[in-house]
Amino acid sequence: MALFPPEGYVRVESAVEGIEVYMPAPEVPQAEPDVVDFRCPQCQAKTAYSVADGGLRCAYCGYYEPPSMPIVGKGAQEFEFTVETVAAAREAHGWGTERRELRCESCGAETSLPPGSLSHTCPFCGSNRVLQQDAPEDALRPRFLVPFQIELKRCHEVARAWLGSSWMTPASLKNAARIADFAGIYIPCWTFDCRTSASWRAQVGHQVTERYYDASSKSWKSRTRTVWRWESGQAQRVFDDLLVVGTERLSQVLLGQLQSFDTRQLVPYAPSYLAGFMAHAYDVPLETAWKRAREQMRSDTHGACRAQASTSQIRNFSMSIDFGDESWRYVLMPVYLAVYRYNDQAYQIMINGQNGSIAGQRPVDWTKVWLAVAAMLAPGVLLGLIGVLAAALGLALPPSLIAGGGLLIVAFILLLVGIIFAVITLNKARAMDDA
Amino acid sequence: MPELQGGWGIPMVYVICGQCDWRYLAPDTDLPEHCPHCAAPALARLDADEAQFPYPHPPELVVPFEVAEAVLAARIEAFARGIPFVPTDLNPATLRERMQKLYLPMWLVDSDVVASWQAEVGFDYEVVSHQGRYADGAGWRTEEVREGRVRWEPRVGQLRRHYDNVAAPALGLQEAAQRALGRYNVSNAGDHSAEHVRTAIVRAPDRSPEAAWPDAEVGLRQRAADECCSAAHADHIRDFRWAPEFGEPNWTLLLLPVYATFYRDDEGQPQRVLINGQTGQLSGVRRGSMKRAQRTSLVIGIVALVLFLLSVGAAVLGAMVPPALAIGVVGAVMAVLIGIGAIIPIARVWSFNRRESRATPEV
Repeated sequence: MALFPPEGYVRVESAVEGIEVYMPAPEVPQAEPDVVDFRCPQCQAKTAYSVADGGLRCAYCGYYEPPSMPIVGKGAQEFEFTVETVAAAREAHGWGTERRELRCESCGAETSLPPGSLSHTCPFCGSNRVLQQDAPEDALRPRFLVPFQIELKRCHEVARAWLGSSWMTPASLKNAARIADFAGIYIPCWTFDCRTSASWRAQVGHQVTERYYDASSKSWKSRTRTVWRWESGQAQRVFDDLLVVGTERLSQVLLGQLQSFDTRQLVPYAPSYLAGFMAHAYDVPLETAWKRAREQMRSDTHGACRAQASTSQIRNFSMSIDFGDESWRYVLMPVYLAVYRYNDQAYQIMINGQNGSIAGQRPVDWTKVWLAVAAMLAPGVLLGLIGVLAAALGLALPPSLIAGGGLLIVAFILLLVGIIFAVITLNKARAMDDA
Repeated sequence: MPELQGGWGIPMVYVICGQCDWRYLAPDTDLPEHCPHCAAPALARLDADEAQFPYPHPPELVVPFEVAEAVLAARIEAFARGIPFVPTDLNPATLRERMQKLYLPMWLVDSDVVASWQAEVGFDYEVVSHQGRYADGAGWRTEEVREGRVRWEPRVGQLRRHYDNVAAPALGLQEAAQRALGRYNVSNAGDHSAEHVRTAIVRAPDRSPEAAWPDAEVGLRQRAADECCSAAHADHIRDFRWAPEFGEPNWTLLLLPVYATFYRDDEGQPQRVLINGQTGQLSGVRRGSMKRAQRTSLVIGIVALVLFLLSVGAAVLGAMVPPALAIGVVGAVMAVLIGIGAIIPIARVWSFNRRESRATPEV
């Protein structure tokens, strides 16, 4: 130890006289102003996060500031469920602060920000400002995020293509829909890691065929019966970055339809990533999200245990599960939101800002759907009528009776297939209508 | 020898066993009758040549004899019980009669230490985890559980301390003695006084302070590591490394109490019995008498032989009186069985002695 104390170490209080103790200097959170105003150092115009460049870009003079944070991906720090963190999370709600008044320094306008809004673009002059708020617990601030990787201008083409991609929607939807501007928003998410260990026990049914003598008919017959045997086993599952959305303000149906986010692209949180975008703090607390994640893990492990049974006939199933190595992160994920109007009705669209997958509401042209259903059922119905006619004719001409019977069988099969397709189509249409 | 008188409180002399070469310090007025190690009666005084007693360091601390008389008696009773064909010399009364108090020495070193150190220190903390149970019909039942974990963090520092009474072995057999007699609770040690050695003898150190220094250094390092852990307000410490500089060490002795006695097996060989004077833990080889076992086996063998000869006679007589033939056959079978049984006393003692020799650590 040539240099003492080593660089980056600070002295701490010692409990024993004659012994000095030094520890690595704790990370001091950078003092950031409540409002960060991103201005171009060359022309003083506003700058914003550029998805194409992955940094801050001035739209006027082209000044570019590269991102300061490297991708950390799955190596991003995870937090344990320490007693202190859980207690802090129980008390914390969102950012734990009241609404704030933000005064735009460019135009002087005053804007009221809702609780949980992390960034804000002045609606009057378009000045980009990022609000920094104190967290009730440092760990409960978003520490990482996945930056936007889909450019805003692509959203409209993606949305147009998606609007015209289903035959169930009105033909004019693709062209007649008036899509409002997409807004980039970082939504709060919790990621959870866990290893579950489970042991299970159940009675598993096995089909056994046996021969027996039937006294009434005085003959040997076969019968199948179920023999129940106790089985047991153990299963382990590892969950890595199980994502639970931390807000209930957005449609859970649409969020569920979006393809999942890739946490390998996580970067440490920096205000510059939020320049020009909205962001929400969580309103689903850690404990609630962790409960939802546990339910999912439990269900998954339950399935894995049942899959170990030698047959699918199971009764008196019991299991115990132990959650181990639990950890969590609070991250922000990129989503574009937009509303479009069609026939004076508003519909939501959501685009995954990382991979461009889209989910949203679309009007259903029920006339088209019912026509399609009719077309699916028509062959079976028509052939069935012909078959009935042929059978009726068969009273006079016996060969027609046989032909009629054959046609009725084919008609029945076609009708059955038609019904299956019709039900699938109707379900799809209803799901689209309900989204 | 003025050094000895000054340090021990009463005049002490060096004595040496001519048979096993063990050296002792004994009160000038009360020399031991036999060597506690080999039971040889010939202990010679060593007051002629000072070069033969190179470590005249005084005692500082003494762990007192604390075993109650009743406990001591019970231990000896238990030792002498359950031995097949017990040697005539092995009985509780003889063991008690020959018992003498003996102190085993350990070095105590005091030293100033200046060091820079680095380590990983651990802090205990708790995390909230969950366990669940499921049963068809009853659904899920989940409970919250707390799990203890340790968070490890690096620490460095400097140390300037004085350490007193760090123990190091003063005998080559210290490790074997510890195995046989168990650990001593050194925190019970008190200051030395003349009363401690007035009725006891002290085994003289056979390791020099220089030879014992590496062990003392390990003790100092452990003491420093524990203190650094406390200084950092931590609960654990690991990977402790230091670069120490030691001041001039001061060496004294710590005395550990042992009761020593012996019995002679049937070959006349003394068998040592040692008892930890603090805890009462006893160490000694219990040996059955092979001679007595052989005598018993011989008697049984002779009985079997006589029976066999009588049976042969009866069988010969059976040629004239047929019932005698049956008696002869039965007698011969019994003679063979008794003859086989004659091996049992020897086998039992042999097996017992072998098991005891393996089970008892040698001092």
